[in-house]
Amino acid sequence: MKVQSAFLWILGTLLILSLGQSLGLRRCLISVDMRHLERSFQEIKRTLQNKDVFQNVTILSTLQSLQGIKPIDVCCVTRNLLAFYMDKVFKDHQEPNPQIRRQISSIANSFLHMQKTLQQCEQRWCHCSQEATNATSIIQDNYDQLEVRAAAIKSLGELDIFLAWINKNHQETSHALHQVPV
Amino acid sequence: MVLEGTWASLFTWVFCTLIPCSLTDPGAVVPAPQNLSVHSANMKHLLVWSPVILPGETVHYWVEYQGEYESLYMSHMWIPSSWCSPTPGPECDVTDDITATVPYRLRVRATSGPRASAWSALKPPFNRNSTLLLPPRMAVRKDGSHLVIELEDLGPQFEFFVTFWRKAPGAKEHAKVVSSVGFPVYLGAMEPGAVYCVKARALVRAIARRSAFSQAQCVEVQGEALPLGLALFAFVAFMLFLVALPVSIWKAGQLLRYSCCPMAILPDTLKITNPSQKPAPCRGEEKVDVCVMTDRDAPRRGLRHAELADLGEGP
Repeated sequence: MKVQSAFLWILGTLLILSLGQSLGLRRCLISVDMRHLERSFQEIKRTLQNKDVFQNVTILSTLQSLQGIKPIDVCCVTRNLLAFYMDKVFKDHQEPNPQIRRQISSIANSFLHMQKTLQQCEQRWCHCSQEATNATSIIQDNYDQLEVRAAAIKSLGELDIFLAWINKNHQETSHALHQVPV
Repeated sequence: MVLEGTWASLFTWVFCTLIPCSLTDPGAVVPAPQNLSVHSANMKHLLVWSPVILPGETVHYWVEYQGEYESLYMSHMWIPSSWCSPTPGPECDVTDDITATVPYRLRVRATSGPRASAWSALKPPFNRNSTLLLPPRMAVRKDGSHLVIELEDLGPQFEFFVTFWRKAPGAKEHAKVVSSVGFPVYLGAMEPGAVYCVKARALVRAIARRSAFSQAQCVEVQGEALPLGLALFAFVAFMLFLVALPVSIWKAGQLLRYSCCPMAILPDTLKITNPSQKPAPCRGEEKVDVCVMTDRDAPRRGLRHAELADLGEGP
């Protein structure tokens, strides 16, 4: 009897923990107007990609191949890639064209807002597994292998890969704003 | 001599001090714009400031912005505003510049020809999540038995949360999220004879905020009296049709018969005035049982065979 009670107690605890974890993941989802971001990028995509002199290599290729990335790793990968773009790519790129600079500023400030949202997640819900760390390290290594200006241009040109990945992995399943008391 | 030099110096000092130097110095400074503020409602942001007045001169204004990213990572970078580089009036629509939900620094300076003022900065920086969200304007109507709503177009960042209910005790409230505007949205079918009410609020996901609900608007659906009357009228008309149809057919038949095959008028010689009088027996061939009048002897047209047989009877 005591063994059965203990077993049920452990099972219930595990269920509660897993439920809490899934709920916590939702707290680490970002809610951004992706249509505006994608529109901003589309306006400058052709110009940026035309400036890319190394057409045969990619920097964000691991994102395309990591179809099986676990939901628990989404927060960590997103946070690391946002930092990659804000700390390196946007700073390393010197854009003379004011129109393009305006669109890059829009994307950069949107990324900053996303990063602030993720920082509000508790650390335990945004833990970095070895797989997530490896994925972002590969991207960093790819970037460092190229000359800095070329790497920045290429990374900017591959923003559509990152935006598509965010769109796919951060779709909200509930609309908290719509749950209004009658 | 010394006194004359002193007077000259004093005169020069008075001249340069009391008379405004702008009249003589072409590189004089233009005053910087003052009282910068942002008026923001429904995600439309307008930067305004006090105008700079220079008599006889045309003043233009230049607006620049810097998002929080630029403030943190590249503080030297300011971006010219999309629509206000330059602008003639003391206001600037910065909606297309403020595109992220972070604090934005804004600054303005005035120019007159080659001369420019110092930059005036907006304090504190503006974040678009402070915009005033107003209850949306809507038009509610009925299309047949359907409840229809039309919402104002506030741009792609807006969605609308619409609730509607039947005005009756204990009635359940229904909800619908409307993303696209510009054309009517069908909410649902209405029961005849009932009153339905609708209200809506605006949602902006980019700033995770929503407006207050609009005032409820109600529409009334007509009851069943009219359809019942129509049904009764249709029944009576159908019954009349059922009666009138055979009568009409009979009458038409009558008309056709008399117009196509009119009855011939019997001559007086053939009329039997005395009922006891019988027609004379025929002479001639006795084998002939019935005396049939030929065309030569009697008008055959219109005479029925019964009449001809009667005339042939006799001893």
